[in-house]
Amino acid sequence: MWEGIATGFGTAFQPVNLAWVIAGCLAGTFIGMMPGLGPITAIALMIPVSYSLDPAAGMIMMAGVYYGAVFGGSTSSILINAPGVASTVATSFDGYPMARRGQAGRALALAAYASFAGGTVGAVALLLFAPALALLATEFQSPEYTLTLVFALSSIAAFAERGQVLRSLAAAVVGLMLGTVGTDQSAGVQRFTFGRLDLADGLSFVLVAMATFALAEAFRMVLAGGTELPRSELAHARLHPGDGKAVTSTVARSSGLGFLVGVLPGAGATLASFFAYEIQKRFRRNDETDGARGIAAPEAANNAACTGSFVPLLTLGIPGSGTTAVLLGVMLSYGVQPGPRLLEVEPAMFWGVIVSMYIGNVVLLALNLPLIPYLSRILYLRRRVLVPCVIAFSLLGVYLTSLNSFDVYLMLAFALAGLALRLAGFPLAPLLLGFILSGMLEENLRRTMVLADGSLGLIFERPVSVVLVLFCVAIWAAPLMRVVRQRQNRRRGDYAA
Amino acid sequence: MPKRPRALVASFMIVAAWAAAASERLHIVIPAGPGGGLDGTAREVGRVFVELDLVERVSFENVSGGGGGRAMAYFLDNADRFQTPLLVNSTPLLVRSLQGLFPYSFRDLTPVAGLVADYGVLVVRADDPRTTWQTVAAELVRDPRAFAVGGGSARGSLDHIVLAMALRLVDVDPRAVRYLPYDGGGKAMIALLGGEVDLLSSGLGETMAFIEAGQVRVLAVTAPERIRAIENASTFVELGYPLVFANWRGLFGPPEMPAEVLAGHLERLRRMKASASWQATLERRGWTSLTAEGPSFVTYLDAQERQLREVMMDIGFVRIDGR
Repeated sequence: MWEGIATGFGTAFQPVNLAWVIAGCLAGTFIGMMPGLGPITAIALMIPVSYSLDPAAGMIMMAGVYYGAVFGGSTSSILINAPGVASTVATSFDGYPMARRGQAGRALALAAYASFAGGTVGAVALLLFAPALALLATEFQSPEYTLTLVFALSSIAAFAERGQVLRSLAAAVVGLMLGTVGTDQSAGVQRFTFGRLDLADGLSFVLVAMATFALAEAFRMVLAGGTELPRSELAHARLHPGDGKAVTSTVARSSGLGFLVGVLPGAGATLASFFAYEIQKRFRRNDETDGARGIAAPEAANNAACTGSFVPLLTLGIPGSGTTAVLLGVMLSYGVQPGPRLLEVEPAMFWGVIVSMYIGNVVLLALNLPLIPYLSRILYLRRRVLVPCVIAFSLLGVYLTSLNSFDVYLMLAFALAGLALRLAGFPLAPLLLGFILSGMLEENLRRTMVLADGSLGLIFERPVSVVLVLFCVAIWAAPLMRVVRQRQNRRRGDYAA
Repeated sequence: MPKRPRALVASFMIVAAWAAAASERLHIVIPAGPGGGLDGTAREVGRVFVELDLVERVSFENVSGGGGGRAMAYFLDNADRFQTPLLVNSTPLLVRSLQGLFPYSFRDLTPVAGLVADYGVLVVRADDPRTTWQTVAAELVRDPRAFAVGGGSARGSLDHIVLAMALRLVDVDPRAVRYLPYDGGGKAMIALLGGEVDLLSSGLGETMAFIEAGQVRVLAVTAPERIRAIENASTFVELGYPLVFANWRGLFGPPEMPAEVLAGHLERLRRMKASASWQATLERRGWTSLTAEGPSFVTYLDAQERQLREVMMDIGFVRIDGR
């Protein structure tokens, strides 16, 4: 293996390949910053460039585009509440409020440092454990996925603010329902498409996320009118004293977790960022650093997960996400068949890509930090300028991913519905989470049940899934206990009165 | 002074006319996102065309969504906007029009030629004691629910259809066998290796790396004759079952395509297929060439549609009123 790592350094440090890492990261991070454009779009846009390169340089560049886009993806989540990719949704939970408080620079800097740490931890782990970790991917099967997803959905109850548990769950159910639109994989028939081809592939993430987050928020700003943002710290890419220390353990924990979840095909960066955010909430201290850690956790996790998703791609030849599926296509176009034999057949490429990830992460940090003051200035814009810009970019982002005007109308309808829900006090994050997880949950649950002839017995027979069942029960019990205790207190109060 | 602009316009028009005559520009519409098999096919064809100077330039347009239906609608509505438009498509076109997912079929287009074929394979884990399709089939004859079968696409799409074709030939009701759909052939392969399913129906292209690595064994392939890259794998025909089925990828033109344009395309494709560059592409991509041009491609499509209709009726995926 050490020999392989040496080969990797040799390949990655060739001047040509160094140049391509930088080019890839640059392109990826800029495209990723655009609201509505995520890693898939970034990679798709760079495919024509990759055709003219040799396999190692091409893969090094495309990998750079991928993690560059994940790195830059937090920007639009934090600044205008417009997550362009599912894995940065969790970043907007604490990032956007921090930016609204006038600390956009701090939020972006935290995201950049945490992304760097997550990406680097991921790259080290990938270097050391890649071949061994491939096993993990085959051990995790439909029952385990089902429970992991149930666990992720259950954590909604834990995300919920006090008194919001029922509304959060209701919003999550709406999200799950939206996820059922399209082709039913298990029956092969169309559901809830009203005979429209535009709905046959289901609703796209970008559409739902832009509608319920960016657009609904822009509409709310219009309705709320009034105050401009405080500008005190807007443009300083500075952390608060104590931020560094506060987030260190969060980042370490989230990076490790993110990498492991990223290795699982299909789960990837999104689940990793939600789990990291959820765990961080458990460790909340109710002080000023909570927000900082709320940004650091998902950002470290999604970058580590993005690196982790290269494990199944490189060692098994199996794409774990839409983005790695496109990368697989790129490799195939070079005549490189990723899979169990890649390590023997193309050692220079295998190790070169991994080693280039360190360089890429340093490049990204060096690139992103100086940009923060300029990016934050977006928020200097007066509301009557900013709001139309957000609306225009959101609509454009959705239109550009599908080139279908139907999506634009649908998005406007969703945004109005989202605004109504928000005004009625329903949180929209659970709705989006439900929507993201819906398809995966249904698919895995149905397979689990078909395997066990229609019963749920299988999940109690497998050791890993039993452990996951216990996790779920624990997370359900916590808010229930809280509700029960509140009821008791209130009743006691009533009697006393 | 009024003369000069007119001269300018005139000279511009002459140049434009000359450019149009000297060069042909293809525009290929791809009913899928970038990076997939259809996208790769279109772009490789375009690359070889330009390399051999058969056309001046090829542009590509990815129109995904609606199971390929959006690209079809787009192509039919906009064909006259481009000088020489082509649509790349594959077997799911037939499957989806049989299902009634969209109101089009290949008869709304002018089939130009088949380019490449991917064949279906049934595979088991390499350490599975059942080494032949006959043993596996016998188990399913005794108990159709003996084990679950995985595939990389939804019920009623290609992987499921190939499985159903194989099962019908051994008198097993395909609807009685548990078919588990996964989100892509890769995840289905993980399920096979991890033991969640014991048999996998997939495309040869997606499975090749695992066959070469010795992780899975091919029970049978739906090719008409043995494939060089996997010489040890029997075809269904050799085993005594008349099952030949290819997932083709091919080119189509707009509905009313003049005969001389079609002839031009066929000549270009003939030269492309004879070129060393195209042979190298097939080798590098692991594709099998498909010979079906013009009228013979139409015959091929007709035959495959009949074959699909029969098995899809059987598994309940053809609308009775469907076309």
